[in-house]
Amino acid sequence: MNKSPRRRIMAAVGLMAGLVFLAGCAKDAPQDTWQPAGPNAEQIDNLQQPVFLVAGIVGIIVFLAVAFVVIRYRDRGQSIPEQTHGKPALEVTLTVIPVLILIGVAIPTAGTIFDLAKTDDTEMVINVTGQQWWWEYDYPSTGANAESYGVVDPIVTSGQLVIPENTKVLLRVTSRDVIHSYWIPKLNGKKDGVPGRVHLLRLEGSKPGIYAGQCTEFCGLSHAYMRMETVVLNRADFDAWVANQLKPYESPAEGTLAAEGESLFIQQCSRCHQVNGLTNADGAPIIAAPEQYMVSGAAPNLTHLMTRNTFAGAAWDLLTPECRDDVWNANTEEFGARYLAGVSAECLNQKDLREWLRNAPEKKPMYADPTKLQATDGKYRGMPALGLTEDQIDALVAYLLERK
Amino acid sequence: MITTSSKLFYGLGAGSLVASIVWFIANDGGSIGSVALLFAAMSLVFLGAIASFTRDGHVLSTDTASHASSGAAQRGVRNSIWPLGTAIAMGFVVVGLISSPGIFKVGIGLLIAMLGEWMIQNWSERGSSDAAYNTKIRDYVVHPLELPVGGALLLAVIVLSFSRIMLSLSHSAGPLVFAVAGAVILAFGTLVGFRRSVSTRVIGAICGVALTALAGVGVATALDGERPELTKAAEEDHFAHRPCGEEEEEADENASQSVSAKSSVQATVILEGGMLYAEVDGFEGAQQSITLQRSNPSTILFINRDAEPHRMVVKYGKVVEDLGGGVERETELEACTSKVEQDGQQAVTLTVPKPSYASEEPFEITVPGVEGTKIDLVVP
Repeated sequence: MNKSPRRRIMAAVGLMAGLVFLAGCAKDAPQDTWQPAGPNAEQIDNLQQPVFLVAGIVGIIVFLAVAFVVIRYRDRGQSIPEQTHGKPALEVTLTVIPVLILIGVAIPTAGTIFDLAKTDDTEMVINVTGQQWWWEYDYPSTGANAESYGVVDPIVTSGQLVIPENTKVLLRVTSRDVIHSYWIPKLNGKKDGVPGRVHLLRLEGSKPGIYAGQCTEFCGLSHAYMRMETVVLNRADFDAWVANQLKPYESPAEGTLAAEGESLFIQQCSRCHQVNGLTNADGAPIIAAPEQYMVSGAAPNLTHLMTRNTFAGAAWDLLTPECRDDVWNANTEEFGARYLAGVSAECLNQKDLREWLRNAPEKKPMYADPTKLQATDGKYRGMPALGLTEDQIDALVAYLLERK
Repeated sequence: MITTSSKLFYGLGAGSLVASIVWFIANDGGSIGSVALLFAAMSLVFLGAIASFTRDGHVLSTDTASHASSGAAQRGVRNSIWPLGTAIAMGFVVVGLISSPGIFKVGIGLLIAMLGEWMIQNWSERGSSDAAYNTKIRDYVVHPLELPVGGALLLAVIVLSFSRIMLSLSHSAGPLVFAVAGAVILAFGTLVGFRRSVSTRVIGAICGVALTALAGVGVATALDGERPELTKAAEEDHFAHRPCGEEEEEADENASQSVSAKSSVQATVILEGGMLYAEVDGFEGAQQSITLQRSNPSTILFINRDAEPHRMVVKYGKVVEDLGGGVERETELEACTSKVEQDGQQAVTLTVPKPSYASEEPFEITVPGVEGTKIDLVVP
């Protein structure tokens, strides 16, 4: 049976609306704002639930009114009715009602905004720096960070932000290049990272776990690959994590594949990537010089790469899907131990890591073609293809696996 | 048949095709310009084909009965100002060529607009033997462009004139003029709203006079220049901090006018009672250490609460440049504020290239002349 074009359009619109509606039922939705996992996100949720309700009721009333008018007074060839102007009582009513509704919404909104901007109850401070296309986190070794949380030396990491459970953490968000936006939907709202400015964002997780986020300010070619995760650990696990991050560097055993990888890392990777404690043949510390090669002047610190579960701006997992599920789906008691175990040889996502080392720009677009860098004075916006052989990749993977 | 106007299109099409080939060769296979010119060539040849097919819209020479009534035989329905406009635009182009690229670009824009208008008017006046209809089709084609562009130009005149006036007025007079102008506009609007019978001509005339007056005063104030403090700020690079040199004997009275970001700074360093301390968002109380991200433009605000004028000096390592031939040059990295008088403030923005632990000398913030107090700078 042939359907009329109108019915087909109606069917297509209905199908799309149904799909959108069904998308709201997704269970595996780590960036769901409707499932808060901390007091800041709960405050937002407590505000948005009634506001959505009010907006929904108003929306339905308006929709029904429009539908009634469209159907009841549709053109059926009747004459144009008498035109009138002005109905003061009705106009005043239709002005006063929205004003009252908006006042009702504004009062709790203003209260929530002020509450979310509070900083005087901060228990821990972390600097969050965005650049194309990854986030860096550094934990200053001053104030309560050092006194209460054992951060006696600065910690620099990337991809995954690790915070202690039930702790009021203040993020000092900024950017090295263009405007980015930090957002972990289950823990709080968004905050822009603007070059030259420091914006403050409260973060608190009330249950151990991993909470995913995404840069929400379009920031260039690989914006979609600029992701982040916040890991909430209970206090004992967080202390263990801090202790591990401050652990001195250990070179791989001589004669191993990892030792070969270390030499290769020094030749190829340490120009941009810092590994704290790495020394040259004279015993002098090797200081990476990303400011010479990168537009942002920075590249991720890889000292403890394998304590993280992600790499390349948290766009890919360092864990295989099975091992990742083990960590993500662990219960509250077991989560910390599984996360702190880091990435083992069995759990390493060899495929993505090797593809990255083989040709990073092919995996994540980063304007990394060396022949097209005139606009940036020869500097890259991301990791270029290094032309590594498969043997060299084997050695580098072996070396990186020991960076725990 | 190759008609008169189709010759023009075929010629332009052929020229574009040649230009496309030349572009391709001259730019080592650079494709965007070649493709654009190729598309232009195809479009022009297509137009030429249409002109050929319709014989330029002419009637046949043998159809003598139609000669007098054909569109092409009609007189222009209005006097054309576009040749004059084109001549003026050409003048702009020539003057711009020898004086300023800006004037040249304006001239090119005007030339395109004038030629376009001229072409459309000529086309429309030969659209039919009905002058009213010809005017109508001309308006159909041109109004969607003329009205928004005209509106934008009008808006630009208003905004530019008003901005010139505000920039020339003193700090105190500016808000007053703004308030009075706003009140007058509001009063005029209210008056018109209440008296609906007022003629649109009267309103148009009043608006025209007001616009002329605004533009006139705008030009006059633009010629007169901005108010003195703005001129001085521009000359002094908006009182930005300069490279550290010999410390001045006198305080820089303009230091606090620096337009550097004074909000959302990394830290505020305060000199008070002979002590230097920092206030850092998120950290409680006075700090003696500031952590800055590496390679990140970071702004530090200095406030001098001491009775004597002082400046802040930030030392953050050194860079070694390889000058070739085994010669290296070492440069100390430091940033200073101007000498700031009591309760004055100035911000410095610096980018630290290397971590502090890589330096033999400490990264620190000091105030010359105030001994025994400093703030450590940590760059992880």
